[in-house]
Amino acid sequence: MNNNFDFSQFSHQSKKGILIIYANLLFKFLKATWVLLFLFLKDFSKFTDQILNYIYLGLGVLLVLIFIRAYLLFKNFQFKIDNGYFVLKQGILKKTNTSISFDRIQNINFKQNLIQQFIDVYQVNIETAGSNKTEISIKALSFKEAQSLKSQLSSGDKKAIIIEDEIEEKPFLKISPLELLKVSLTENHIQSLLIFVALLVGLFQQLQEVFKGFGKDNLIDDYIEIGNNAFHENILLFIVLFIFLIFAAVISSFVRVFLVHFNLTVFKKNNAFEIYQGLLTKKSIILKKDKIQNITISHNPIKKKLGIYFVTFKQAISGKVNKKKDKLIRIVGCKIAQVEMIKELLFNYKNLEKTEKKLSDSYLKRRMYFRSFFIFLILNVFFYFGFENFKIFFINVLLIPIFIFLIELTFKKRFYKTNEDLLLVGNGSIETHHTYLPFFKVQNIKLKQTFFQERKKVADLVFQTASGKVKIPCLELSEALKIYNHTLFKVESSKNPWM
Amino acid sequence: MTDSFQNLSIDSFPDISKITFKSIEKAFLKVILTNVSLVFTILFIGLFFILKYQIEEDISEFVPYFYIVLFLVFLAVLIMKIIGFKKRKYAVREKDISYKSGIFFKKMTTVPFTRIQHIEVDEGPISRFFKLASLSVFTAGDSSDDLEIKGIKKETALKIKEFISQKIDE
Repeated sequence: MNNNFDFSQFSHQSKKGILIIYANLLFKFLKATWVLLFLFLKDFSKFTDQILNYIYLGLGVLLVLIFIRAYLLFKNFQFKIDNGYFVLKQGILKKTNTSISFDRIQNINFKQNLIQQFIDVYQVNIETAGSNKTEISIKALSFKEAQSLKSQLSSGDKKAIIIEDEIEEKPFLKISPLELLKVSLTENHIQSLLIFVALLVGLFQQLQEVFKGFGKDNLIDDYIEIGNNAFHENILLFIVLFIFLIFAAVISSFVRVFLVHFNLTVFKKNNAFEIYQGLLTKKSIILKKDKIQNITISHNPIKKKLGIYFVTFKQAISGKVNKKKDKLIRIVGCKIAQVEMIKELLFNYKNLEKTEKKLSDSYLKRRMYFRSFFIFLILNVFFYFGFENFKIFFINVLLIPIFIFLIELTFKKRFYKTNEDLLLVGNGSIETHHTYLPFFKVQNIKLKQTFFQERKKVADLVFQTASGKVKIPCLELSEALKIYNHTLFKVESSKNPWM
Repeated sequence: MTDSFQNLSIDSFPDISKITFKSIEKAFLKVILTNVSLVFTILFIGLFFILKYQIEEDISEFVPYFYIVLFLVFLAVLIMKIIGFKKRKYAVREKDISYKSGIFFKKMTTVPFTRIQHIEVDEGPISRFFKLASLSVFTAGDSSDDLEIKGIKKETALKIKEFISQKIDE
């Protein structure tokens, strides 16, 4: 029933696509000019009726022009499937013709933003291994069209797809809002806060740019100046700010988790996971087993108590495109049983749990102490020059135990395990991360040794994969060489595709 | 597909520490020394102008020390480069290519042929004068951190490139 749409002739998107393109263009237009609009509205009362009429007329014409552009974009956007190739024609004046062979297609994802949800169409993104330019997104297709396009594009054999469709009935994992709440409350709040602050800084810079243009660039700085003075005088303000920050951190992780992971549903298929999630923008992602380079299973003390884990899948990053965000796929709120099942599906991890847990050499601890001693020294120099009151040095009483605690914890969580096919690396300080890397996914391997490490006969191992590095610091040289040789042997004798 | 590798014992793995690494061409030391000298010539000229035009009177008596310090740094870098040069070694095996270098920070990298995306042979302006080239191999992912062998004969580089291309196609 799936293949009842014929894509062998050039076809358009769903007619509703005009609306999506229109909204998209409008949004882009607004984004580029919102500041001007703001300034314009401020002086709104000063305009006479006649000028206002012209302005309305101008706006009307602009809206119509944008609509015409949207229509032309829609009209000129055509695609078809031709003999193992996906062919796309687009462009109003400058026509481009793209064709992509099926085996270069990495992923086909569905996405729905608010408008698309409202008029019930799906955006289909076709990711390829290669440059950014060959990423294709079809803005509006009905669900059936989208499904059938996907299955036709990913079909080598049509049987597999039919089987997949039958399996789809019951989800492998479904996260209810209540569980999501638990997840969001136990997130790494400091990280969320940083993201939130980064957003604010971005907005602030944009505003500053604008005011600079109008010769008012001191305006915002003045506000901050005032704030600064008050800050020095008032310790109460400091406490209020602190509480506000904590509050902002919790709220921002809450919002972030709910926006991205709302209604997270995971289906298990033959050789892939299918993930649906998102509140405002719904996304469906297909994670193929072969494309996954390594996975990381993480939790923190509170999460562990509640028995929830999150799993991060790392896919191959194509070329030099730095869109790591998209290639990092997180499933939050897994239960231990589901984590086991994921591991089972992806790897040959038998015997792994039984093998001996090997810690890094104690040299690692010394190195960490040495490095943090430097940070400590710099901090104190800063205290010395930055503050007039020498009571500030009492902070050290607090800092030293924290440093020691974190180092001991980090060292304790550093371990590795190996079996025939799989490497397990544990790390983390407050959070705990377990990274599973099959040896044959390694791209190249490095052995690093500093002068001091050489005397201690230890070395660092760095595994470069298509999705980033995995490191084992400070293990015995003989052990490191053994793993080095083993990895090379596995890579060179492996017949499985790494991607 | 059958798993034909399951029962091999660990002893049978080829050992990277047992193979003999080849040194790179002696002539490349000249290239390195030329490069270092060029950089320091520029630094010396820069220092000369800064001291001549920018500095106030009261430190003029220290001026010779600036030159002495820079000269000592120059010497130290030269010595490091000369000692470090002997540590730059490479090896090509049946199925992978390795490179190691470093005195205080030793580093060894191995790239299996099966993971190589493409190979490049480059000649810098000074290297070309000595008929030398560098061979870089790139893998998927973060390719800034792959393997580069500088200072081998151009014929050797091309030969290795040919050899690897052949192996990949098999």
